[in-house]
Amino acid sequence: MRRQSPWLWTAALAAYAFLYVPLVIVVVYSFNDSRLNAEWVGFTLDWYRKLAADDDMLAAAGNSLLIALTASLVSTVLGTMAGVALHRYKLRLLPILVLAPIAIPEILMGVSLLIFFVLLNVTLGLVSVALAHIAFCIGFVAIVVRARLAGMDESLTEAARDCGATPARAFRHVTLPLIMPGVVAGALMAFTLSIDDFVITFFTAGAGTVTLPLLIYSMIKISVTPEVNAVSTLLMLLTLLLIVVAAKLSPTLLRSDREI
Amino acid sequence: MNARALAAAVLAIATFAAAPAHAKDQLHLYNWNNYIAPETIKRFEGVCQCEVVQTYYSDNEELLAKLAAGAKGYDVLVPTSNAVQALIRGGQLKPLDKTAIPNIKNVDPAYLNTPFDPGNQYSVPYAMSTTILGYNDEKMKELGLPTDSWAVIFDPKYLEKVKGRVTVLDSANELFAAALKYLGYSANDVDPKHWDEAAAAIKKAKPYWAAFNASSYIKELTVGNIWLVHGYSNDIFQANLDAQAAGRKFRILQGVPKEGAVLAVDNMVIHKSAPRPDLALRFINFMLEGRNSAELTNLIGSGNPNMDAMKYIKPELTKLPAVFPPKDVQAKLEQLKDLTVAQRRLRNKLWTEIKASK
Repeated sequence: MRRQSPWLWTAALAAYAFLYVPLVIVVVYSFNDSRLNAEWVGFTLDWYRKLAADDDMLAAAGNSLLIALTASLVSTVLGTMAGVALHRYKLRLLPILVLAPIAIPEILMGVSLLIFFVLLNVTLGLVSVALAHIAFCIGFVAIVVRARLAGMDESLTEAARDCGATPARAFRHVTLPLIMPGVVAGALMAFTLSIDDFVITFFTAGAGTVTLPLLIYSMIKISVTPEVNAVSTLLMLLTLLLIVVAAKLSPTLLRSDREI
Repeated sequence: MNARALAAAVLAIATFAAAPAHAKDQLHLYNWNNYIAPETIKRFEGVCQCEVVQTYYSDNEELLAKLAAGAKGYDVLVPTSNAVQALIRGGQLKPLDKTAIPNIKNVDPAYLNTPFDPGNQYSVPYAMSTTILGYNDEKMKELGLPTDSWAVIFDPKYLEKVKGRVTVLDSANELFAAALKYLGYSANDVDPKHWDEAAAAIKKAKPYWAAFNASSYIKELTVGNIWLVHGYSNDIFQANLDAQAAGRKFRILQGVPKEGAVLAVDNMVIHKSAPRPDLALRFINFMLEGRNSAELTNLIGSGNPNMDAMKYIKPELTKLPAVFPPKDVQAKLEQLKDLTVAQRRLRNKLWTEIKASK
């Protein structure tokens, strides 16, 4: 094997540093013994203790997780179906319908959804936020899944059909495993988009429904304490854990180098 | 699973999701973050045998936008006076039943019956802040700069000495108000010629400022990076508490400009869709009790229009003219009025020019 050039290594290191140093700083400063968190003062676990006693913050984190999990699960199922339909049927209107929510400015979507919910007399709360998140996540999942399908050899599905598999069976045993990395990528993307969404959540959340981004944003004026770093650290760990478990359960799940 | 079982399961989930999590009475308070003391909430929950559920906003415009779009379910809101006026105009508020709020007698009459809500039909004052100067006492003394005039953030003669150590609020309305006051006009002056003068003053001073900053200036003051700010009295009070807690040698003090300043009064109002107007009235009356009202002031250093609260407030706070303005200072404070659409357009245009200027 040819030796890699040192430049490539440097570039890779720089890229990883760019991606991960900010995250490391967030984690490190969650142990900072200063309410303002402007400079390093000393090590403390106080913020984790405060967090454990802060019902508001924990409830917000719980709401965010619950919404993100629901939104990513539902939008993955619907988005995958949309992606397959986009790939298979060349309908003129379908791409517009599925992809428009990606292009619409968030604030417009937030206000429209709020007006829509008010018209339908839907009580604003966790359910309305989850519905709104599902609505904007579908498009993203569909795009990723369609991209994966575009690189897939159609003859594989046809071969399965030739051997007598029903369309459902061919999808379940041939198409789905092949596009799985795309589906998982879509699900992760939906999860990320949902958990940090502010604008749409702000409009669709009702009285008493607080998510983490809403809470943190409202704290900005008074200064954000390391408690926010602490809760972010815990969420990061949880997300990391989810990915590691997913990778363990299916080693090929997150890899896209399989022959297709 | 057959279709019927599936339907039953879906129905069960839907009922579960729709059912309120608590059977207990709830009061929905839509408030600024950290704008009520936790012990006050606990005491009210004990008195009313209910639960206070808070949701937060960080800007009056956010609150107005959300309610204008039709959001429901909030009992008590705490908007600033000009937002109260906008809400009244939009028919969003429920008139207050004064017989249920006997404690309104505790409020200083100077803060009642304002042009924003004549006769206090819809609102009662909750807490207030002033937009003033905040400074690092050590540095300002060293440099020999005045701390009682807007000139110090607008006049290049002074600014030369603190170049790059000054921040002003990133708010067109607040900064124009300060500039108008500096020029000797009212903060609510709407003469376009005076606005041009104010814009010119701002542009002339801009090269000396480090930033337009509305969020992290508390931190910058405390650390000692920034020595002079145009900011809110609550924030400057917090900055000093933080600086003392961190053991700094300097103090962060408040300077009320002799030309006058902006006063912002936040008010309690009841939304027209309030699910529990009865609890809302009880809450408002409860918050007008001196002790409860004082707890917020002791927590964040906000001004307090409640005369009965004075005896519960920490003495070092009552001496601050920015928090408790004496009569002569009070006379020079102004609450900002809403601008008309045309005026707002002009101000936005000037503001964009200011932001784009070198």
